[in-house]
Amino acid sequence: MKIQQITENKQKYMDMLLIADPQEDMIERYLDDGELFVLIDDCEIRTICVVKLLNNRKCELKNLATRMEDRGKGYAKYMINYLCEHYSNSCDIMYVGTGNCTKTIEFYEKCGFVNSHIVANFFTDHYREPIYEDGIRLRDMIYLKKHLESEVDIKKVVDFALEAGRILLKSGAEIFRVEETITRICNRFHVEYVDTFTLSHAIFVTAEHGTEKAYTKVKQVPLSGSHLGIVAEVNDLSREISAGHISMEEASKRLKEIEKMPQQKGYFQILAAGLSSGCYGYLLGANLLESVMAFFIGCFLYIWVLIAQRHKMSKMIVNIVGGAIMTALAIVILRIPGLHGIQLGGMIVGAIMPLVPGLAFVNAIRDIADSDFLSGTVRMIDALLVFVYIAIGVGLTLSIYNNMGGGLVL
Amino acid sequence: MMERLADFFTVSLFLQIVYAFLGTVGYAILFNVPRRFYLSCGFTGAAGWFVYRVAEVHTSAAVASFFGTLVVVLISRMLTVRLKCPITIFLVAGILPMVPGAGVYYTAYYLVTNQLSEAVVRGMGAVKVAFAIVLGIVCIVSIPREFFQLRYWRQRFRLNHLRRLRLKKNKS
Repeated sequence: MKIQQITENKQKYMDMLLIADPQEDMIERYLDDGELFVLIDDCEIRTICVVKLLNNRKCELKNLATRMEDRGKGYAKYMINYLCEHYSNSCDIMYVGTGNCTKTIEFYEKCGFVNSHIVANFFTDHYREPIYEDGIRLRDMIYLKKHLESEVDIKKVVDFALEAGRILLKSGAEIFRVEETITRICNRFHVEYVDTFTLSHAIFVTAEHGTEKAYTKVKQVPLSGSHLGIVAEVNDLSREISAGHISMEEASKRLKEIEKMPQQKGYFQILAAGLSSGCYGYLLGANLLESVMAFFIGCFLYIWVLIAQRHKMSKMIVNIVGGAIMTALAIVILRIPGLHGIQLGGMIVGAIMPLVPGLAFVNAIRDIADSDFLSGTVRMIDALLVFVYIAIGVGLTLSIYNNMGGGLVL
Repeated sequence: MMERLADFFTVSLFLQIVYAFLGTVGYAILFNVPRRFYLSCGFTGAAGWFVYRVAEVHTSAAVASFFGTLVVVLISRMLTVRLKCPITIFLVAGILPMVPGAGVYYTAYYLVTNQLSEAVVRGMGAVKVAFAIVLGIVCIVSIPREFFQLRYWRQRFRLNHLRRLRLKKNKS
C-alpha cells in the first residue's frame, strides 16, 4: 500500500472523484488548487482524495472516494491517517464536510473527527439534482473537524530543540537567539508549555504537554570556537521550521548536516588573519611598513593557532604562546638590518588582532544589553582573560630578551 | 578648522577606509561568515570606521566610538532585515576596529610589567570606549524591528496619502 500525490493531469481521475461528488462542476471548483492523493494497492488505485488548503493553517478534505468493491478494507482510514500526518506540518485543523448520513459521519468520528458546524441547505442550493444516500435526501452539509497535532513526542521535540540550541551556543550565538530558537521549535511542534534558561555554557529546558509529566533536560556547552556560518544556517532552519515548511525528521537531518559544516580552508584563514592584522594595525596607528610586517606576523601567528586548535590545547596556552611567538617575530624583524622606522608597538598592536576575542566581546556586550548579565559577565571575563594571556606572553618574551642584553625597546 | 578638515579628507582617509574594508572582511573570514556576506561586512566596517575617524577629529575617542558604533549597528540592522540573517555576522566584524583591543592589551601589558599608573590610564580609556560601544549598541537595538522594514514605511506612506486624498475630497 502506498500513497502518491498527483500534481498533473488531475482530470484523469474524474470518474473516480464522481463517486463521492456527483456533480462535475462542483469538483472542478476545488480540483485545481486542491492537492490530489491516490492510494495504490496491488498496482491499482483504491482510494482517492482531494485536500484544499484554507487560510490560517487550516485545510479541508474535499473529496474522499473508494470504489464500491474496495470498501470496508480500511483503505480510506489509512488515507486519512496519512493525510493527518502529512498536513500536521502546515495545518492545525482539518475540516471535512459531508451529508447527513449516519454511516459516513460514524466513519469520520472513528477517525478522530468531531462536530464542527453545519451549512444549511448546501446540497439543495448547489446541486441541480437531489442526492439520495441510504434513501434520505441530503440537504445540509455537516462539517466535522480534527486537530492535527499528530502524536507529539515531547521528548523528541525538546531533544531536537536543545540540540539546535547547543549548536547555536557553541558557534557563538547570543543568549536570546538560543532561547528564541528553542521556544520557536517547541511551539511549532505543539509543545504546550516550554521554558528555557540559558547561560553562556549551559542550557536548561523544561517542557510540559497535556497530562504528560514535565520533561526537563540540561545540556552543558563548553565555551568554544566561533562559526558564524553555522549560526546563520541554524537561524534559517529555525525560520523555516516555524513557518511550517519542514517536518521534524527533515529538520533533524538538516541540523546534523549543518553541524558538520567545515571551517574555511587553512591557508585561507591564515591569509585572512594576516590581512586583518595588517589592515587593523594601520588603522590603529602603525605606519605602512609596520603594517606590512604585521601582515606576516599575523600569518605566522595564525599557523600556530590552527595547530593548537587541531590538538585542542587550552586557551591559556594558545594565547600565551601566541603572544610569545609574535613578540619574538617582531624582535627578529627589528634586528633586520636596513629596515628603518619600525617600532615594536605598531607591529604588535596589529599582530594581536587575530587573537582578539572580538566575538566574545561583542556578544558579552549584547548579552548585557539584553539584561543577560550572568552570561554577559562570564563572556566578558573570558574575553578579558585572553588579553591578559597575550600580555603575559608578550611581557615574558620581552623581559627574557632584555635580560639577554637587547636593551629596552618598547 | 577647515584646513584641518581638508588635510584630513585626503589620501590617508581614503586609505584608512580601504583598510577598514579589507580588515573587516579578513575578520569575517576568520569567523567563518558565509561567503555571500563578505561585501556587506566590509561595507559595514568601512562605514563605521569612516564615521569614527571624522568624529575623532572633533571629540574624544570614546565619543567617536559611540558614533561609529551607532552607524555600524544601524547598517547591520538594515542588512539583517534585508538579507534575513543573524545580526552578529555584521556586528562583530564591523565593531572590531573600535573595540579597545589595543587599549585592553596595553593595560594588561603594563600590569604584567608592573607599570601600574600607565595601566590605570590605559584601562580607564578602554573602559570608556567599551561603555560608549555598549551605549551605541543599546540605542539602536531598542528601535522596533518594523522601522527597518521597507514595507512598513511604504504602508505608512500609502495610508497618509490616502488620508490626504480623503481630506481633499471632503473639503471639496
